[in-house]
Amino acid sequence: MKRILIEYEKCDGCKNCSAACMQAHRKTPGTIYDLDLTDPENESRNRILKDADGHYKPLFCRHCDDPECVKSCMSGALHKDPESGHVFYDETRCGSCFMCVMNCPFGVLKPDTVTKTKVIKCDFCADAGGDPSCVKSCPKKAIHVEEV
Amino acid sequence: MKYVIIGAGVAGVEAAKTIRGLDASGEILMISADTHIHSRCMLHKFISGERDEQGLDFTERDFFERYQIGWKKGIRVQKICPDKKELLLDTSETVSYDKLLIASGADSFIPPVGELRKASNVYGLRNLSDAQAIVKEAENAGEVLVIGSGLVGLDAAYGLLELGKKLTIVEMADRILPVQLDAHGAAAYQAAFEEAGVRFVLERKASEAVCEPDGRIHKVILDNGDQIPCDLIIVAAGVRPSLSCLEGSGIACDRGITVDSAMKTSVGDIYAAGDVAGLSGIWPNAADQGRIAGRSMCGVDAAYTDTYAMKNTINFFHLVTLCVGRIREEEGDEIHIKEDRTQYKRMIVRDGKIQGILLQGDISGAGIWQYLIKNQIDISHIKKDVFDISYADFYQTGEKGKYEWSIPVQ
Repeated sequence: MKRILIEYEKCDGCKNCSAACMQAHRKTPGTIYDLDLTDPENESRNRILKDADGHYKPLFCRHCDDPECVKSCMSGALHKDPESGHVFYDETRCGSCFMCVMNCPFGVLKPDTVTKTKVIKCDFCADAGGDPSCVKSCPKKAIHVEEV
Repeated sequence: MKYVIIGAGVAGVEAAKTIRGLDASGEILMISADTHIHSRCMLHKFISGERDEQGLDFTERDFFERYQIGWKKGIRVQKICPDKKELLLDTSETVSYDKLLIASGADSFIPPVGELRKASNVYGLRNLSDAQAIVKEAENAGEVLVIGSGLVGLDAAYGLLELGKKLTIVEMADRILPVQLDAHGAAAYQAAFEEAGVRFVLERKASEAVCEPDGRIHKVILDNGDQIPCDLIIVAAGVRPSLSCLEGSGIACDRGITVDSAMKTSVGDIYAAGDVAGLSGIWPNAADQGRIAGRSMCGVDAAYTDTYAMKNTINFFHLVTLCVGRIREEEGDEIHIKEDRTQYKRMIVRDGKIQGILLQGDISGAGIWQYLIKNQIDISHIKKDVFDISYADFYQTGEKGKYEWSIPVQ
């Protein structure tokens, strides 16, 4: 499967990856130039965390080999695709219980801010094809896709 | 090899899938009283009419065909005969097995108060059949009484509110959701339910309930003498492992069926998983036990080790809560509280280790807390506000880009 590999030492916290993710998943048409960063409906699937010393630690869904989110899903909304190995989320089946949020040990998942009915989950930009938007946008090449 | 699974809840389903993954040609047969595969966590969505039976199915489409699993539905197992390796069904049919998994779940507990157990308008909320009966009964019910304000009681109320019913909820404790929440967290949900029209009666128990000539209870009397008129009663007072088919089988039971870490019972070739084993009452753990049992049944070494079960998420009226670990304060605890317009956070820390956390309003990225609590990770060296601790403070990437835990040796 393909996974986004992270060289966190290269990250300078610019958050281009987060803006690219918001742009890739926005519901409205438009380009990055008119993306409303303050609209709570535009949420990024990745986040740049900081440790106590201020070092940047990028948080990207691992599409784990043994995904705790899938294992805790009570509706069948989350599944690991046997072909790509990626963990996909079907919003229409989701029961909004958020046990996946509780069980992701790295804290990658979150409920959507506006309605609290969906999970904000990386889809590897599968519909767009090619590399995920975050990877394409990283100016430091701190993230790249590799077959693992 | 013939694998038979009693029960079609998540433990049974996960076991069946696991077995198929390890044994491509073995015969797998599931036997369940349930006639639809359904997620019990979504029964309120059925009551409210938001989803139909199919909408509660948590399995992949064409599950039985895809994994070549047989299913006898709407059938109960009456007796297990380990000496003959046979099951007797309520259709008088016998079914043989080489390996048997008991994943029959649990039954609603109706307390022996008055004639609650005898009346025809009293229901638990455990199975789809309960939800179906409640919906039917609710058609002609104006006033509904819910006994118990745990997650199941509130689920029932949440669904029935959508049907426009007048609801009263009686709770013994001084707050709702007493197992999961502190008084402050509970008050937020109480207010939301009250705003939707629910009346709560706290610190009260049902003490008398008499069946009238029509076989129904029309009023329940509380321990202070107050009377609550009702057309329909839902009892949400917990569940008990479903052990009726075990009688005479010689399988050892305690609170539930006794199992070892490989989910083996005291009798050879018989395994148990899920609520019937009484180890935990939550979905992820039942699913895990099912997978472990499936592996054991195929002769693969497996152990149920991630047993932590003091964890819950709650979502009513778009107010989301997560609670993990101990919520009740003890002497010597360090309590951290943070609150603003959109959220309430409360953490119990003791000797530099988190004992419990409650997050209400915003649970973004909150999965890390379970890891820190169940593994009792020391956080005292992290010079941050405790609520700002994140995976960044334990960050490490390993083989194939997997995240690992960097935890300093004390």
